[in-house]
Amino acid sequence: MRSLVFLLSVAALAQAPKHRLHTCMVTSKDYVVGAKLPPSGLFVNAGTQGWQHRGFNHPYVAALDFDTRDPQTLFLAAGNGVIRAGDDGREWKILTGNDVTELRDISVKGETIWFAHTAGIAVSRDGGKNWSAADNGIRRKYTEALLVDRTEPEHVVAGTEQGLFVTEDGGRTWGAAGAAGYQARRIVQSPHDAKEWLAATEKGGLFRSRDGGKTFESGGNIGVDRTLYDISYDPAKPGRIAVCGWDPGVLVSEDGGRTWQPRNIGLPNPWIWSVAFDPDQPGKLWASVHEDEIHVSDDAGKTWRRAGLPGSIIYRMVFVPEVRP
Amino acid sequence: MRALAGLLIAALVPLHGAAPPFKERMRDVVETYAHPKGPGDSGYATIAAKLWLGEDAAWCSKRLEQLLAGGPTGDMFWMFPVTAIAYLGQNKLTPSAMKSLRGAWKTYMPYRGDTENHWLLYYTSLYLMAQMWPDEPGSAWYTGKPSAENFREAESWIKQWMELTITRGQGEYDCTHYIGVYLLPLSYLKAWAKDAEMRQRATMMLEYIMADYAVENLDGIYVGSHARTDDKQVLEKWNGVSSDLGWLLFGVGWPLPVHAGYTMYYAVASGYEPPEVIQKIATDRSQPYVHKELKRTRHRWRFFDERNGRVYKTTYMRKEYAVGSDQGGVLQPVQQHSWDVTWAVKDPRGVHNTLFTIHPFSSLHELQTYFTFAPDFGTESVVRSKKSYDSPDKFLGGSPFEKLYQEGDAVIVLYDIPPGTRFPHINGFFSKDLSYFEEHPSGWIFVRGGDAWIAYRPLAQYSWMPMLGGDRRLFSPYLKNGAVVQSAPASEYPDIASFRKAILALPIEIKLEPTPSVQFTSLRGKRMEFTFGKPPVNYDSWQLFEGPFLNSARDSRKLVLTHGTLRRELDFKTLTVR
Repeated sequence: MRSLVFLLSVAALAQAPKHRLHTCMVTSKDYVVGAKLPPSGLFVNAGTQGWQHRGFNHPYVAALDFDTRDPQTLFLAAGNGVIRAGDDGREWKILTGNDVTELRDISVKGETIWFAHTAGIAVSRDGGKNWSAADNGIRRKYTEALLVDRTEPEHVVAGTEQGLFVTEDGGRTWGAAGAAGYQARRIVQSPHDAKEWLAATEKGGLFRSRDGGKTFESGGNIGVDRTLYDISYDPAKPGRIAVCGWDPGVLVSEDGGRTWQPRNIGLPNPWIWSVAFDPDQPGKLWASVHEDEIHVSDDAGKTWRRAGLPGSIIYRMVFVPEVRP
Repeated sequence: MRALAGLLIAALVPLHGAAPPFKERMRDVVETYAHPKGPGDSGYATIAAKLWLGEDAAWCSKRLEQLLAGGPTGDMFWMFPVTAIAYLGQNKLTPSAMKSLRGAWKTYMPYRGDTENHWLLYYTSLYLMAQMWPDEPGSAWYTGKPSAENFREAESWIKQWMELTITRGQGEYDCTHYIGVYLLPLSYLKAWAKDAEMRQRATMMLEYIMADYAVENLDGIYVGSHARTDDKQVLEKWNGVSSDLGWLLFGVGWPLPVHAGYTMYYAVASGYEPPEVIQKIATDRSQPYVHKELKRTRHRWRFFDERNGRVYKTTYMRKEYAVGSDQGGVLQPVQQHSWDVTWAVKDPRGVHNTLFTIHPFSSLHELQTYFTFAPDFGTESVVRSKKSYDSPDKFLGGSPFEKLYQEGDAVIVLYDIPPGTRFPHINGFFSKDLSYFEEHPSGWIFVRGGDAWIAYRPLAQYSWMPMLGGDRRLFSPYLKNGAVVQSAPASEYPDIASFRKAILALPIEIKLEPTPSVQFTSLRGKRMEFTFGKPPVNYDSWQLFEGPFLNSARDSRKLVLTHGTLRRELDFKTLTVR
């Protein structure tokens, strides 16, 4: 009997997801600052237990990231500052002070935490104890998107109102990297090829780098004159990429971005804030639909079904590795 | 003889003279909330009011626990009532109620917000609560930071805001509603900060903002340009928080039918009575005066190299009316009010005692300058709470295509609206309460409001759009546009014929192509030359305050208040009042 229980446990573990989907969201209808806030902030997909609200109710969590060495500790780019959300999002502490507000993006590499905010870019080298501005050389400092290179920790790409900027020296100096004049809203690095990066912009469409995020060039016509909000590589299938935006809805490429197919049949509207491929289930794609509901597809967007969080705007969806005791 | 003397005295008492003394006005405000008429009104404000009056402590404790058990909401608008209750309830609330109150500062995380008024409320509340519970660890606070860190963070922001305000001007300047949100936290700090230096700073800032309002009020009505007002008060000038505060602080005008909550919280904290010199400035309209101010825009996150742009205000004041303006342009998002003529009336309630024009501008660019709105949803999300923002018939908001020049009680407003602009027209507000109205063949429109004559010379053709309630909207769909507006008191022109004659004799040259331009000599002999896009005066010499009553040179960190023989100097360098 004991052997049977053990075997069942092993089987269950084998089938259990290795990652949990985390969402940064606000239930925005009828909310203005000072009004009663419907459930908002950080939500975790707990499988059969549904969506779980973690930490405080907060109207403004724009992005999250984690240290791969300790994925139970999340770092949130929030209205109130950088929030360290320990115990998989349950225990919050604000790490920043009164000098930054309304954070836009965050990128974590070990003890180094970068974030983008309304007045520029800041970094901590000691896990959030001390912060310094790191946007020298960027004239217009509003920064919407930011990403640290996973292979070169001093290499960071930022999306400002004047385009993409890159630093190779940990923020001491920055230079233009492309997409001039276009506000980038999301920057990602391919999980298959560290040299390939993509940036989604307002009106400029998609921009691509093949030199490790040093320079970016236009990736074609998709999303031009519209807003592209998010990008997701399918970790299980090289060449499959999803992007999303306002009016284009969800677009999927199966050939590394050479061609794109709309994947909106079954979605209630084409206003999509975020997309994310499930790293544990090839082809499983999540999409956050503007003030409607999160939707999920098992076939890379060919068909969709509703998956909870009604009325939400989900700015970012991130799969976080499960840590088992 | 005695009856005659009585009549003479009665005739000398101005309208605001009927207001009871300050302490009685304070009590009236607090009583409104302590004994609400409806059962649904017994919220935090009632608790605060009763605690201040020393009434029903047991009820206050019970009700407080009920409210907190329901779960806090409202961000900084929850923080400030609860902070007041914490201080007013010391030694009055039960240990259980105080424990519930304290616990909420661990279990509820208020959003800090995205405006300076949000932040001042947030950090003042956090400052005072950290002061009340000074030695607690981060685990006892929603911030995760220990008391001392919360206190330092709050203190440093409050001081930075004060420094920015006294050197560059207020960001949300001269707001008809939010003036309450600035006076309230300063009243808290004056009353409850243990640090004598902070109390002194708060007292001086209270006087600074009170004086700023005092000099630009006409019988309690906040006149001149505003960073923020609202759709209602921009027409019915009396109907807002500023009037309620004007009545409380200076005994002028009319209070709101139900006092504003901000007025009540101001009262139950310091309840600071303005010093005599500010009282005099607020009430003496015996001589006309011109008052100038330098303010700043709110933080511009995008599209500008300078975080805070400059706002140049001019206000002409006399007992019959006021004329106020800024330089035009988008200086604040959504709720800016750039210029108007406002005339005095005996009872302003229900009266639309104002005249002005705007270009109804709305744009994502404006919103993204000041907020983090995403491009596709920004305008809609604003319209959800600010209903008129994207409406062609609105009367609120600045426009980059509007420029202004004022000399005394004459204003030139010019519009140069690019083709393709959303809402390619201008709106002029003409009140139902005008007692005289004439469209003269010369092109001038002559009107009278109260004891003010107003001559309005449109620069382009127009038509009239009726409005609910009898007001009229001047609608002019010409992109090169504008108006010349000259006011005068009825005491100087006893009838319309004399006023009309004087106006028609004034030199005026109008050119609309290629750029709107006007040359005009005002009734007071001032030659005005104004071309859209060209500063009509040298703004480099503009001071923070300049006029007969308030003066503050840039970077002096001093505000000098004068009235007759009274003089009061607020020296922020030394934190002294002389």
